[in-house]
Amino acid sequence: MPTYMSDAEIKASDIYLVESVVFEKGKKYLIKANSGHGKSSVLNFIYGSNANFSGKIEFQGSFPKNGFDRRKSKISYVFQDFKLFPDLTVFENIQLKNTLTDYKSIEEINSLIEKVQLGGKRDRLVQKLSLGQKQRVAIIRALCQPFDFLLLDEPFSHLDQENIAILTSIIEEELDKQGASLIMTSLVESKLFGFDKVLNL
Amino acid sequence: MLLKLQKRTLVPSQMIGYALTIFVGITIILISTQFYYDTQPLLSQQTEAFKSKAAVISKNISVFKSLDKEKIYFTDEEIQDLEKQSFVKSVSKFNSAGFKINAFSNKTESAPIFYTDLFFESIPTKYLDVETDEWEWDSSLDFIPIIVPENYLNLYNFGFAESQGLPVISKNTISEIEFNIRVSGNGKSKDFSAKIVGFSNKINSILVPEEFLFWANTEFGSLGQNKTSRLLIDFNNPSDKGILAYFNDHNYSISKDKLELSKLSFFFKTALLFVLFIAIVIVVLSVSFIVLSLNLIIQRNKDLLLNLYAIGYDYNRISKFFQVSISLITAISIFCSILVSYYLRGFYLDTIGGLFDFEEQFNSIVLFGGSILVLLLITYNLLIVRNVKNTVIPSTALLS
Repeated sequence: MPTYMSDAEIKASDIYLVESVVFEKGKKYLIKANSGHGKSSVLNFIYGSNANFSGKIEFQGSFPKNGFDRRKSKISYVFQDFKLFPDLTVFENIQLKNTLTDYKSIEEINSLIEKVQLGGKRDRLVQKLSLGQKQRVAIIRALCQPFDFLLLDEPFSHLDQENIAILTSIIEEELDKQGASLIMTSLVESKLFGFDKVLNL
Repeated sequence: MLLKLQKRTLVPSQMIGYALTIFVGITIILISTQFYYDTQPLLSQQTEAFKSKAAVISKNISVFKSLDKEKIYFTDEEIQDLEKQSFVKSVSKFNSAGFKINAFSNKTESAPIFYTDLFFESIPTKYLDVETDEWEWDSSLDFIPIIVPENYLNLYNFGFAESQGLPVISKNTISEIEFNIRVSGNGKSKDFSAKIVGFSNKINSILVPEEFLFWANTEFGSLGQNKTSRLLIDFNNPSDKGILAYFNDHNYSISKDKLELSKLSFFFKTALLFVLFIAIVIVVLSVSFIVLSLNLIIQRNKDLLLNLYAIGYDYNRISKFFQVSISLITAISIFCSILVSYYLRGFYLDTIGGLFDFEEQFNSIVLFGGSILVLLLITYNLLIVRNVKNTVIPSTALLS
């Protein structure tokens, strides 16, 4: 049996125990909470990788809890723990996703790698990279698919301001191109992206 | 990319070990079953070389039985029990003469003069292995046709005649010789002329036509009757291994070469079955080993599989690599098994063909090997998908 949070823990939530929360397409949302309050869980619920919740999530009318095909065409997710493959190179990690979706050309991928200042590390094994570098690889990989929603789970925790700015612009560009929504979690208030709504978890 | 990633998960030594053991096991299975098929007609030909499926049985005579003669006779219960056995088609008693018999030669004959006591027995004519048109008893003629074991003639020719300086006699010669039989009992006595009309390889007794014995027993019979010390048994299938077991259990002795052969064929089959059993054990072990090893590989690489699943690879796609590799290894091994079995079969067929008159049997190697392969592949593929699925989708996520 899944263990649910107690009522006391989630009293002040904008999401938990609220009648309904709507994420509209094309808008940007920030979910803000302290560590351990279930930010990742909310994203996992939406992504369909965690079904331990009661309530209902609807997406274009239906939402099977373990609906899998969303992962290739509807929702993209930058995991907090990246979920990269240490034995593959930077390029291979990205290409692993791209072969599944066939969304970006090799040139586009190469230029993204250049933009986030990983050009020199393109053929380096991911296990040799720093956390910040891995974070950048994970973000590029997430952009290699069509999506209506982009989920970012504390995406910039290991990055410097310069890289954050670069990534923000790359992400915004992709969001505009796809007309997609952004749901990002963060520990603190963020001025990035010009969020339409901030939800306190 | 996926290939590069998953290639590392397999352990080469395990795969090679699996390939070798499955190869050895399947080869032995294929070749031993094929060998069984190939030799089957040879064995049954040999065991049925005797047209009749009948044999004579008696009780073993031991020291105690020679004192208490009653024990060598079959009781009615024993005969009924025999009749109930599945391998027995019918049981016939040897009828014995309950009167005194003497044989003597005419003094004018060229053959040596002799006078001897004799005994007669009879069996139903259909069990005789002698074909003669003289095997008829006509009550109006005082003539008795007699069949003796061929061994008797050999005994005389190569033993007695040799040592006593007597002439040897051919079957034809002996069949020409008429001699006299005096039957006496019940206070009556009668002389007959008699001739040996045939020699039996099968029945160790001095036989006269059944009709004569029935008549003579009513006419002269005085000694204790209805005691049966020998039975003639018609078998459904003389190579039934139950026969030997039954006779051993009841301490009956059986005078038939073919039962020796059926013993032989029993040992042969047992040995072959044993080999087959070992081979099946090898295959079962190697299959269990690889299933276990695959489960371990999947568990050890759980994170990798979970990550693949997380970025959008479904479990069928993730399973594919394991399925293809194991299927390929199995297919190659079994293919090699089939090739080697073919080669070995050609080898032993040459040998057997040189020794026996032998008809080639249906070659089941490819069919059988192919079936095993298909069966294994289905099993592996199903198990792998199930295992990967259970690994990437925790059971709690299967709600809804």
